[in-house]
Amino acid sequence: MRHSHRREISLAAAIVAIAAIMALAAPGFFTWGNARDLVMANLPVLIVALGMTLVILTGQIDISVGSQFAICSVAAGVFAKLGMPTPVACLAACLVGAAMGAANGALIAYGRVPSIVVTLATMVALRDGLRWVTEGAWVQDLPRTFQWFGRSQAASEAIAMAIAALLAAAIGWGLRNLAAGRAVYATGSSAQAARLAGIRPAHVIFAVLALTGALTGCAASLNAVRFNQVPANAGLGLEMQTIAAAIVGGTAVTGGRGGIVGTLLGVALLGIIGPALTYLGISAYWERALQGGIILAAVAMDAIRVRTREHGSLAVERS
Amino acid sequence: MRLLEATGIAKSFAGVRALKGVSFDLGAGEVHALVGENGAGKSTLIGVIAGAVSPDAGSLAVRGRLLSPNSPGLARSLGIAAVYQQPSLFPDLTVAENIAFSLERRGLWRRVDWKARTRQARELLERAGADILPGRLVGTLTMPEQQMVEIAKAIGADARILILDEPTASLTGREVERLFAVIASLRDRGAGIVYISHRLEEISAIASRVTVLRDGEAVATRAIGETSRDELIHLMVGREISTIFPKREIPTGDVVLETRGLGNRAAGIRDVSVAVRRGEILGLAGLVGSGRTQLAETLFGLTPADSGEILLHGRAVRIASPGHAIRLKIGYVPEDRRRHGVVGEMSVAENTSLANLRAVSRHGMIDRGREGGLARKYVDRLRIKTDSIHAPAESLSGGNQQKVALARWLAIAPEVLILDEPTQGVDVGSKSEIHGLMVELAERGLAMIMISSELPEILGMADRIAVMHGGAVAGTLARAEATQQKILSLALGT
Amino acid sequence: MAALPSSDRRPWRDRWFPNGEWVLLFALVLEAGVFSALGPNFFTLANFFEVVRLSVELGLLALALTPVMITGGIDLSVGSMMALAAVVFGAAWRDAGLPAGVAIALALLAGCAGGALNALLITGLGIPPIIVTLGSFSMFRGIAEGITHGAANYSNFPKALVMLGQGYWWGVLPVQLPILAVAAVAYALLLHRSAIGRTLYAIGFSPAGARYAGVRVARRVALVYFLSGMVASVAAIVYVAHLGQAKSDAGTGYELAAITAVVLGGTSVSGGRGTVWGTLLGLFSITILQNGLRLAALPSELTGVLTGAVLVLAIVLGRLRGGVRTRVAALALCAAIAAAAVLVAGTHGWLVRSPRQGARGGHRLVIAMMPKAKGDPYFTSCRTGAEEAARETNVDLIWDGPTGLDPAKQNEVVEGWITRRVDAIAVSVENQAGISTVLRKARQRGIRVLTWDADAAPDARDYFINQATPQGIGFTLTDEAARLLHGQGQFAIVTGALSAANQNQWIAFIRQRLAAQYPRLKLLDIRPSDDDRDKAFAETQTILKVYPKVQLIMGIAAPAVPGAAEAVRQSGRTDVYVIGLSLPNLCKRYVHDGVVQSVVLWNTRDLGYLTVYTAARLSENAIPAGATAFLAGRLGSIEVRGDQVILGKPFIFNRANIDQFDF
Repeated sequence: MRHSHRREISLAAAIVAIAAIMALAAPGFFTWGNARDLVMANLPVLIVALGMTLVILTGQIDISVGSQFAICSVAAGVFAKLGMPTPVACLAACLVGAAMGAANGALIAYGRVPSIVVTLATMVALRDGLRWVTEGAWVQDLPRTFQWFGRSQAASEAIAMAIAALLAAAIGWGLRNLAAGRAVYATGSSAQAARLAGIRPAHVIFAVLALTGALTGCAASLNAVRFNQVPANAGLGLEMQTIAAAIVGGTAVTGGRGGIVGTLLGVALLGIIGPALTYLGISAYWERALQGGIILAAVAMDAIRVRTREHGSLAVERS
Repeated sequence: MRLLEATGIAKSFAGVRALKGVSFDLGAGEVHALVGENGAGKSTLIGVIAGAVSPDAGSLAVRGRLLSPNSPGLARSLGIAAVYQQPSLFPDLTVAENIAFSLERRGLWRRVDWKARTRQARELLERAGADILPGRLVGTLTMPEQQMVEIAKAIGADARILILDEPTASLTGREVERLFAVIASLRDRGAGIVYISHRLEEISAIASRVTVLRDGEAVATRAIGETSRDELIHLMVGREISTIFPKREIPTGDVVLETRGLGNRAAGIRDVSVAVRRGEILGLAGLVGSGRTQLAETLFGLTPADSGEILLHGRAVRIASPGHAIRLKIGYVPEDRRRHGVVGEMSVAENTSLANLRAVSRHGMIDRGREGGLARKYVDRLRIKTDSIHAPAESLSGGNQQKVALARWLAIAPEVLILDEPTQGVDVGSKSEIHGLMVELAERGLAMIMISSELPEILGMADRIAVMHGGAVAGTLARAEATQQKILSLALGT
Repeated sequence: MAALPSSDRRPWRDRWFPNGEWVLLFALVLEAGVFSALGPNFFTLANFFEVVRLSVELGLLALALTPVMITGGIDLSVGSMMALAAVVFGAAWRDAGLPAGVAIALALLAGCAGGALNALLITGLGIPPIIVTLGSFSMFRGIAEGITHGAANYSNFPKALVMLGQGYWWGVLPVQLPILAVAAVAYALLLHRSAIGRTLYAIGFSPAGARYAGVRVARRVALVYFLSGMVASVAAIVYVAHLGQAKSDAGTGYELAAITAVVLGGTSVSGGRGTVWGTLLGLFSITILQNGLRLAALPSELTGVLTGAVLVLAIVLGRLRGGVRTRVAALALCAAIAAAAVLVAGTHGWLVRSPRQGARGGHRLVIAMMPKAKGDPYFTSCRTGAEEAARETNVDLIWDGPTGLDPAKQNEVVEGWITRRVDAIAVSVENQAGISTVLRKARQRGIRVLTWDADAAPDARDYFINQATPQGIGFTLTDEAARLLHGQGQFAIVTGALSAANQNQWIAFIRQRLAAQYPRLKLLDIRPSDDDRDKAFAETQTILKVYPKVQLIMGIAAPAVPGAAEAVRQSGRTDVYVIGLSLPNLCKRYVHDGVVQSVVLWNTRDLGYLTVYTAARLSENAIPAGATAFLAGRLGSIEVRGDQVILGKPFIFNRANIDQFDF
């Protein structure tokens, strides 16, 4: 809701700094084509991170999204092969995701098992389960209408971006302005107080996890239709990427604080570091180290800034 | 038709019967007080009324409509609002957002008009007499401020039935008066108020009827004019309590702790010069926010001082952390028992030894036998009611938890003990036991600083009273010359 | 001190199972029971010690994480810390030429420094541990990759060091066992006996409450993260000694496995609760499950599925206490685990897939075959051929291998097979230095050892089924690129993981060929795909823009070629060629569309077929020493060159011939 936007500002500053470096060192970075490719490459992360933000806002976590993503991708391919029209296959994949999310949610909200335990369990179980069933085989020989929904690449990309933008806008707006959005913050801030305010925290947590499953399904489908075959090992490391985006974006890991704008900036920062380093001609071998270092530096700077400001403001307030 | 009618309410928790068929009623335009020792079942009863606890038996009706089953949402929609002893607010949300929750009814997908909500919040805070900005995060508010937000919420909810559980526990005199004015205006507009307090003088000031709970049973309901303070105490404890403050005159010794021009910008205190002697209880009075707790936390090293000096037995010392304070034999029983006083999940024994692990360990390893012995000693000495020294502290009643918090500091064999609101939210019986213990400790030569918002307690227990205002000591009164008037006028800075 | 009244004695249940650890004890007994029935040689002392040996590194991390999680924190960086410490050790020992002792000290120092960095950021700046360690999780492994360029693999360590990871005391007791025992005892003392430990619990329950009791919260929290870094580096040394190699992929995924063990052991994720004893129970219920499944020749994917189930069950059941509910819960647990066991046993016959009638009569040969990674399409197609040969030669085939990126897994699987006493083992070697010792051990026990796809040290195996040498692959790919570009131009490589041994070998030969034959052919960049098609796609997109003059993309991992091809197609660049090493089926469409010019590979089915055929013939002693050829079923006469069985040359698939192949 309307809180201080200090993390968002830090992130924006970091992004601007990287952009400035790129403008000087590699102006080729700022081309329409590159922007489009970057957006498309980070679209799945973005959509899943929206759900992850909600989950973390309620004080939970979902580390099974990578495994869910793989299953939803394969599901979308299999449904399409069974003869479903591509949009229907994608919707069905979303349902598969929602079902997995709902299973997580039920165990967390009603079984009262900590979310990290539940999703750790489903992460390994789903990933290994999928490998067991598919034995790593890709889904191939998809109908011609699968890739790009059978339309032109540009049209399909526009559809995917529109869906992502719509989801981000709807969730961001709803979080701020709808009573349901406030229920999410309330649950994460104090479940006890939420209960007394007539909110059912268990329902909220369940709904948020199920929604994250559905969003993961949506992300997997939109990603799958960019290709004409579906690998069985998609989404490796997606949980780390999305969690990192949300918490680097300022969502408090204890819940109750944060927002979609921060997450969008988090996705943007994490998404441009890798390609930017490639543009700068930095060897891939050092990329991971720099990525970790930049994340740490961003949050450390933010923490230092808050510290000095707190000391300053306290003194002013009391004098 | 009564506004609220509860009949034969029974509830058990894990086999323990908290309520044994309690009946209770409330009329429109009435303030009905509910008194009883801790553990008498008051909280459970209000939980049932507010829908937070579902009863095993009995019925609950609002304006003749039977609520079965009740739920927080249903209770809210019928105009029942509760202000609990521990504020139930969202620390990560702003004051306005917190208040907004009480202004709305159902409809998950409805849009919230934030501008209007902020305006309403400001109005409600004004009506509740709280000077708090609606944009502040609740997590940054003090306990009394949070309590005021709760009250503003209740007003905003346009409550027909308002439940106040120890609303004045952390409020100062002026705030209490303000609250009473709010209660009176709500009552005059036809609301019914259930008022819970340990302070019997407040009850006679505001309530028209009083119901006494004891061991899960409603033992009596009286009109306020037909009962007396002594009778109520008798009904609550089932026995007479002869003297309420067992204070005895003790010759005081040398100065143990002294501060000279102590200041702490971060904590907002300045130029504090106080001294406390062996065997003396120094009362620290003042409004909430006047710097009493901040002074205590500075002396205990939680927020180290940045100017002036602290002298212990005449020698200047630097207290930069609680560890320092403990080594200097200074103990501190904090105000917020649940968050700071005890670690609820840890056992009585573990809580007792936590500040003094060195005494129960050899080569850094804890000797369980010694630890058990230490705990047993204090459980017996302070008459802590617990099944076992291994029971988690949170399973004890408030008064007994407070005794555990005390035991922790007695275990370091302190020379100075700072007690911050030592009897807040403690039942009458435990309260007098804690007072008796303080006298006993003073006789043994312990120097004590007692912070209290309850003026009778300050007047009854302290040898000298330092009154704080705006982060500084406004004046010091000897026991003989102190009156409620004098303390208040110093505290208000007039 | 006077004796305490009886009410002050803690009930034994609270003392031993404060967090419901009895569920785990129960699960362990059940696991032991089920696997004793299913797995040959499971219930032996030797196997018991083998399980313990394989648990040491993970156990050390789990021990280090226990106090961290008790204070309500988490340390995701421990696995990466292992990689960094291992690489520091390797670099100090080999590159800097320092004595092993000094190198170990440096590695421990690196661990301490890493732990201190985490501690500083968490306690000094007050950043939540999950954020800090998520950052250092990337950074530590990143530094390790940077130092080694992913490729450097330090090995051939001094005997004494290798002893530490592979030797035995008195012939049975693994050398590293005392390290785990000492660490466990030390952590038990720290947590359950020491004054510091008590304050850690207080911090976990309530940091503010601990502060008000005079606990130096920041210092204590810093201590656990510092210790965590240090212990992770100890684990790294054990790991290096155990595998005989130090590489930047050490400890991949260990953080999650260790957290799983700790959480399974009853440690609360919100802090305050947990025991060392519970952590050890959690650890062993996972490692025994893995070992048991392996010995029973059940697919290792079941480990994940069952671990997940046990994790949720243990938490749910461990929470129920007292009276009737406990009994009901215990019954439910029995039912659940029994059901799982029945499922396991029931699927047993079906999964092994080959009829078992021969077991009663004469001895039926058991051949165990391991890919580098299960679930990789390349190896899946090899498996088809292997099963075909197993049917023809009437042997039982066990197909198992790592399901993740952890290079230590191959060793564990082979250890399991040795204990199970299979007749022949055929391994596609991921880490030559790492696996050779355990293969030698297998040979000593009279098991026939083959390597296929990628070779181990020559003395560690009987034969290598040589489908194509790294040199052959590297040179063929380079020649193909040169042919398409007419010997002049720029190209980029999309590889698998940066640390993948095979790919790094090929890259070395590609560079060698370029330098020797094609000086005007320029290699622009090497980007990792982590065997993820989508990542290969994104990396190729970036390459196309950063290097607009690139004329050819060479994918050298099976998913990298279709990923790169799709990127080139979507960019609309018709002037960029795509070639690489992949499966024909994955690339067929792109070959027909003209995006991919050629795919280099051998017939993977034939490779699997030949491997099993050779193993079967070898176990029957049908291949005499010095043979120059033998008949391998449908493949006809196969050439044996020294200790290598030659499948043939790398094959180039292109539009003309690709439709003739289906794998």
